[in-house]
Amino acid sequence: MNDDAYEGARLDKSDVVLKTTGLEKAFGGLVATDSVSIEVQRGTITGMIGPNGAGKSTLFNLISGFYENDAGHVTVNGEDVTDLEPHERARKGLVRTFQTPRRLEGMSVREAMLVGPGPQKGESIFSLFFSGSDVTEEERANIEQTRELLERFEIGHLIDQPSTDLSGGQMKLVELARAFTTNPDILLLDEPVAGVNPTLANDIKRFIRELNEEGQTFLIIEHDMPFIMDLADPIIVLDQGKVLMEGSPDEVRSDDRVIEAYLGGAGP
Amino acid sequence: MSAVSSWVSETLVRDATERRIFATLGLITVLLVVGVLTGVIGPRFLLFQIALVGMYALLSLGLNVQWGYAGLINFSVAAFWGIGAYCAALLTAPNSPLGLGLHPVFGFLAAIVVSAFIAVLIGIPTLRLREDYLAIASLGLAEVIRAIILNEDQWTAGSSGISGIPELLSWLPLTDAATTAAVVVFLIAVVYLFLRRVHRSPWGRVLRTIRSDEDLAKALGKNTYQFKMQAFVIGSVIMAIAGAFYAHLNLYIDPSDLVPLTTFYIWIAVILGGTGSNRGAVVGAAVVIAIREGTRFLNDIGFIQTLGVDLAPLRLLFVGGLIILIMRFRQDGLLPPKDELIWPAARDGSGAGGASASGAAPDGGTSSNGGDDR
Ligand SMILES: Nc1ncnc2c1ncn2[C@@H]1O[C@H](COP(=O)(O)OP(=O)(O)OP(=O)(O)O)[C@@H](O)[C@H]1O
Ligand SMILES: [Mg+2]
Repeated sequence: MNDDAYEGARLDKSDVVLKTTGLEKAFGGLVATDSVSIEVQRGTITGMIGPNGAGKSTLFNLISGFYENDAGHVTVNGEDVTDLEPHERARKGLVRTFQTPRRLEGMSVREAMLVGPGPQKGESIFSLFFSGSDVTEEERANIEQTRELLERFEIGHLIDQPSTDLSGGQMKLVELARAFTTNPDILLLDEPVAGVNPTLANDIKRFIRELNEEGQTFLIIEHDMPFIMDLADPIIVLDQGKVLMEGSPDEVRSDDRVIEAYLGGAGP
Repeated sequence: MSAVSSWVSETLVRDATERRIFATLGLITVLLVVGVLTGVIGPRFLLFQIALVGMYALLSLGLNVQWGYAGLINFSVAAFWGIGAYCAALLTAPNSPLGLGLHPVFGFLAAIVVSAFIAVLIGIPTLRLREDYLAIASLGLAEVIRAIILNEDQWTAGSSGISGIPELLSWLPLTDAATTAAVVVFLIAVVYLFLRRVHRSPWGRVLRTIRSDEDLAKALGKNTYQFKMQAFVIGSVIMAIAGAFYAHLNLYIDPSDLVPLTTFYIWIAVILGGTGSNRGAVVGAAVVIAIREGTRFLNDIGFIQTLGVDLAPLRLLFVGGLIILIMRFRQDGLLPPKDELIWPAARDGSGAGGASASGAAPDGGTSSNGGDDR
């Protein structure tokens, strides 16, 4: 595909939560992210698709600070976070999940969930000794929130399970729930239903939509086309590290360049 | 009495195998007491062994904070131990090069401050990087500390060592051996209670997350560098306290005591006892020392003498064999961690633990976390 085909994303949105400008990342000679500028509007579920190796996960890693960018900026709620560490960006309201589920060795689901809320008083050793009752109060509230959230996601019965015993789909649900407990301004989900059975994938879709109706903003990478087309609007298409186009599900579906990008990726 | 027995059953004994382990330990204790009463074992010898085991238990508790809680690989256990021992020796022995002859309290305080400082110095460049950097740097540190003590003899008395270290609490109406044993039991109790409080908490939970997946902890907004630093410093300080105690136990210290073998034994103790478990660290230390000290006397046994082989130097082989056995039959160590890291006081009344919480103990019911039989 020639360079003119890359139209780029829409950059005229109002109430932008997350914005990248000219993000670049190269691995040796391979340009994985090539001058990517996108905007995510508050209250939306913004989708991100693209063939394998298009650079979607790399872009997430740049946005969340796990990779250092070669050029460009990341802005959250109008504040430049490009120089911040991953945990600092998370505290600014930018929280991501990982493509491969992260299992917490030796932790129950309850424990794994309770890592989410933060910063907690009980994370300071000083508070543990000198304001134990505050810690108790906060921990109680967090345990209660965990219970409610797991019940809402219909996995309340798993709360005592070792988190290593969960199925991939259940783990994805726990990760979504946990990420939500951080009270983020924007949630970045990297393939939330990859390898998840269709029933559970439908549940996940329903929960994401519910959270969104309550005001949660999402940016979601997903290969499952019916899933993302049904859930997200707008959708950003990435190809070879660049933004190919952005549009409504219908626009994306009927765009020749998108079809070509996918066919080109699948061909020799 | 029932409160005590319920505490024992909920804190120490979680399943049948653990009951057997503690029964075995109890039996050994009874045998030792019988041995003392019948005059087979000298009480002084036994008390000295208790002090030694206690010191190793402290070291294991320290390493357990670093490796067991946070997954930090520290190969300089002997170095932090040596820092503690030298701080105590230098400040309290009247004939040390510093010649201060201060009260032992100052030795312990110096051990804490200096070890914390050095831990921070090592941590700053390494804890931001991948975990293996700390491992490599700590290997170096162990040798550097030994070389400094050996060569800076105007400050440290070099290879001639420091003697005349005062005994602890010599005014107590006990024999010196009994006093040191009492002191170490006190130190272990304090450290144990401290660790118990900080571990079963949001703090301990973040460390457990870091150990298992540091990126995840970062993605959830945790400043993992800071948490790792805290764990590293706390562990190092506990090791230095063990060292300071040793100075007052042995009353003499020289650089040859800072052997890497100590680090090796402590790693074995932690892994054997059950990585991440405080109870395990203490029991692991006792087992390792029992083997080490026990094999000293192998050559005195008539039967082995008739074989004409020198078995005592094969000690490491015994330790190795034991590890293989335990790892074969009890993969996670003798007493692996069982607790959910949740603030105990927040458990009751919140419905945590579900139906299985019905038998919850007043302190939040450590035994009642339904899902902990993993
Ligand atoms: N850490 C890395 N080192 C070297 N190359 C990398 C690294 N991470 C990603 N890449 C390369 O960058 C390109 C983009 O990879 P990325 O994982 O971002 O793709 P993706 O769109 O998420 O693909 P998928 O749909 O398969 O998850 C690939 O060619 C990949 O091999
Ligand atoms: Mg990817």
